[in-house]
Amino acid sequence: MLGGVGIGALLAGSGTAAWFMGNGVYAVETSGGYLLVDTKKCAGCETCMMACSLAHHGHVNRSLSRIQIKKNPLGCFPNEIGQMQCRQCADPGCVKACPTGAMHVDPDTGVRMVDERMCIGCESCVAGCLFTPSRVQWNFEERHVQKCDLCTNTPYMTEEGGPGGCQACVSVCPVSAIKFTTELPEQDDSGYEVNLRNEHWAIIGFPVDDEGAVPSDVSVPVDPSNIAKEGEEAW
Amino acid sequence: MAKAMGGYMGKILILNLTDKSYEIIDSEPYQKYGGGHGMGTALFWDYCKDKTIGPFDPGNVVTISSSPLSGTPVPAGAARVEIQGIGSFADPEWFTRSNIGGRIAESMKTAGFDATVITGASSDPVWVEVQNEEVVFHDASDIWGKWTDDTQETIWNLILDNAEDGSWHDMGSTRDSGRSTQKPAVICIGPASENLARSGTITTDGAHQAGQSGLGAVWGSKKLKAISFFGTKSIPVADPAALLELRMEYQKRFVYKVDNPSYEQPDPGATTYDARIFGTLTRQPGSGGAHWTSRDLLARPYGCPGCTRNCRHNFDDGFANGTMCAASMYYLTADKKEDMLYAAGLLNKLGINGFDRGFLDYLRALYKMGILGKGKEIDTDLPFDKYGSREFIEEFLYSIAYRKGLGDTMAEGPARAVKTWGRWDEDTKSGLFPYPQWNYYQHYDPRLEVEWSYGSVFTDRDINEHGINAHVHWLPTICNLSKIDYLLPAKDVVERLAKSTGLDVMGFNYSNEGIYSDEKLETVAWMRHYGRFWLSSMGLCDSVWPTLLNYNDPDWDTTGATPDFEPRMYKAVTGLDLSFEESLEIGRKIFMMDRTIWYLQGRTREMETFADYVFEVPTSTDYWLTVYEDGEWKFDGCKGRTLDRKKFEDVKTRFYKLEGWDEEGGWPTRKSLESFDLADYANALEEAGIYKGE
Repeated sequence: MLGGVGIGALLAGSGTAAWFMGNGVYAVETSGGYLLVDTKKCAGCETCMMACSLAHHGHVNRSLSRIQIKKNPLGCFPNEIGQMQCRQCADPGCVKACPTGAMHVDPDTGVRMVDERMCIGCESCVAGCLFTPSRVQWNFEERHVQKCDLCTNTPYMTEEGGPGGCQACVSVCPVSAIKFTTELPEQDDSGYEVNLRNEHWAIIGFPVDDEGAVPSDVSVPVDPSNIAKEGEEAW
Repeated sequence: MAKAMGGYMGKILILNLTDKSYEIIDSEPYQKYGGGHGMGTALFWDYCKDKTIGPFDPGNVVTISSSPLSGTPVPAGAARVEIQGIGSFADPEWFTRSNIGGRIAESMKTAGFDATVITGASSDPVWVEVQNEEVVFHDASDIWGKWTDDTQETIWNLILDNAEDGSWHDMGSTRDSGRSTQKPAVICIGPASENLARSGTITTDGAHQAGQSGLGAVWGSKKLKAISFFGTKSIPVADPAALLELRMEYQKRFVYKVDNPSYEQPDPGATTYDARIFGTLTRQPGSGGAHWTSRDLLARPYGCPGCTRNCRHNFDDGFANGTMCAASMYYLTADKKEDMLYAAGLLNKLGINGFDRGFLDYLRALYKMGILGKGKEIDTDLPFDKYGSREFIEEFLYSIAYRKGLGDTMAEGPARAVKTWGRWDEDTKSGLFPYPQWNYYQHYDPRLEVEWSYGSVFTDRDINEHGINAHVHWLPTICNLSKIDYLLPAKDVVERLAKSTGLDVMGFNYSNEGIYSDEKLETVAWMRHYGRFWLSSMGLCDSVWPTLLNYNDPDWDTTGATPDFEPRMYKAVTGLDLSFEESLEIGRKIFMMDRTIWYLQGRTREMETFADYVFEVPTSTDYWLTVYEDGEWKFDGCKGRTLDRKKFEDVKTRFYKLEGWDEEGGWPTRKSLESFDLADYANALEEAGIYKGE
């Protein structure tokens, strides 16, 4: 087989679903959308996780959120918070690993989806995910696997979901650290890094460069003498 | 009361530290108090048999209570628990509260419980593991003495078997037992509380500190080092679609737009002040603390679960993660800003209340006056000659946490220490020691901003509720500091506040007459009732709620989310109809429950007063507030004012009457208590002889 992302990129917008090319090459249509998460802008508030489980399941359970925010509250920026969302891979290991076709590419939207009725619970898709931890999860309440569907099936969300609609996590993120895009992001085997910070982020005091390593006072100069004076009130 | 269709987990965990046992009870009988503070007060009432005991008596009971909103995406309402019990900090000692955010509320609920009640006392150090309704008592001998960060990391690693961050952790023996990528939420004490320092805190994560109560030392006296909550249970929501809709609506109308703000702080390079303090108004990310000087440090904003503001910072060295508000400025006068943050981190790790920065200023003043120092009247080896250095703050905080030298006295709390040194009368009269009531530092000027000071003196501590203060005081203060025009005229501010609260506009008049008016007392009562229900019982964050005035609307519509959003949030989660007016009445009821307990513990009308300086020393610097004078509203610096003793006594009488308390004595009357179905509270007051004149 051809390795992962390239073939998907080549086939972007071709209107195809999934097929075999010569010599056993397997190709699928690219997704109709992707979630972009700025790892250095995320404030770790978990609202995306709450909204995800609420929109899909009607109750809140972080363990059933299809986007996972890992946190070490005592760790060091920028590695103390990590976002683990499905990449809607061009070459989806989860789809390929599924023996029943439950994990599939939606023919209309290209979104990598689970047909829960066909899931036999073998978790091959969980193991087949290219990322660690797997972006495919075992739903221990309903006993089937699940993954991000870009809110295609969200019975508890009034707004239309899916690539043409809204995504719960994007809609509720208070710092706009999650965006939806229809363009396949540049990426490598570790996924993709995006920078969703602009000059306004620097004005409130946070780094805007890609690495998050340049203090905001470099881009937004401040007078170093302007510090609070002794005796100022606390909020 | 109708049964809630969502929000509650339905169970309360009762821990008995004495014999290391536990029971699980139904939470439904306590749901009529809402959650949080109301639920905690009711639990304390039932489980603390003798309410007149001291804080370190094994019979003292500590409650940790979440709310039905906890763990759900209501705006800035998912994170907080209320911790209550007989505290050790206030002078006098009595039933008190503290409130803490972070991951603790959602984690307690996903572990299966709406609240946890701690009874008894262990003879040796213990920590408790709670996971999906299973409870295990562990020997804590190996972690007793550890700092709060080390304590939490040790417990995380024990439970997660040193797994890599973000790995899926199986909760049981089968895949259907549940899995989590999260770390358990560990709530613990550090060395200060272990050594019964009354300013010791209860800590979770980096900087979430229940510190304004002295309940950390109560944990220390019970030899309770930590409780870990971990679980995968679902939190039910009555109307998930409505909840998501209102979260999205709130997002559009009230949240600071980080990529394109509706109102942005002045360019920090062009002002005379680091204007990130504008976040006090706009609620922009990272504006809760360390904003004064941290622009050249590397950080991200950090928020509690469900937050809309994300007011904290996580730094690239991690040491002072989460630090905010007073704790971030505890050592504001450090020579290096890195040491200012270092001090904040040290406070968190030792578990010392960072709010009490006024004590450090006071001690330094005594040093400069030649009263405190080596061989002086207050003899100490603490290196005040190196004030401003890292060395000084380390020795200072260690001395309190480990009760070394002068720290042994300081660990008793500022008021007790000052009394021990024989300086109480002189320094509270002059205002050198600005602690207006109950051993709490002057947070806002009690002579002027009376919704705060009256509210505090009628309760048990400094109220720490900024819903009105943000607009009547901070708005003009911030604009004046930044030398810009007021964002809104004073008249527009008070009119908007009046609309959002339903109060008379004169309730926001801080003139020399206005602070004694009936309208002002209505405002004080409104804040008490809102605070008791929506902040302390429902767990809404004080940094966001009440949202009385909005600075983030794209069209500059200043209409706040209050009072429209609160009942909608409550209904979406619980399925129950509750009008805003009804919610305030529940707040009034809970306030009356607290008040009953304080009177059982010896409170009198005479105790409800302020330190002498409040009545005798005029204000000498500008303190900006909304004032109505000569037929016009304005922002005024209110210089030269004191509180009038006689008029304040009249305020007390009128406020007691307004609340349904005895006009002379201040205790809740039988009639008022019974109107709230609290006859057992009235009976207790009668048995205690409080009602002898009624």
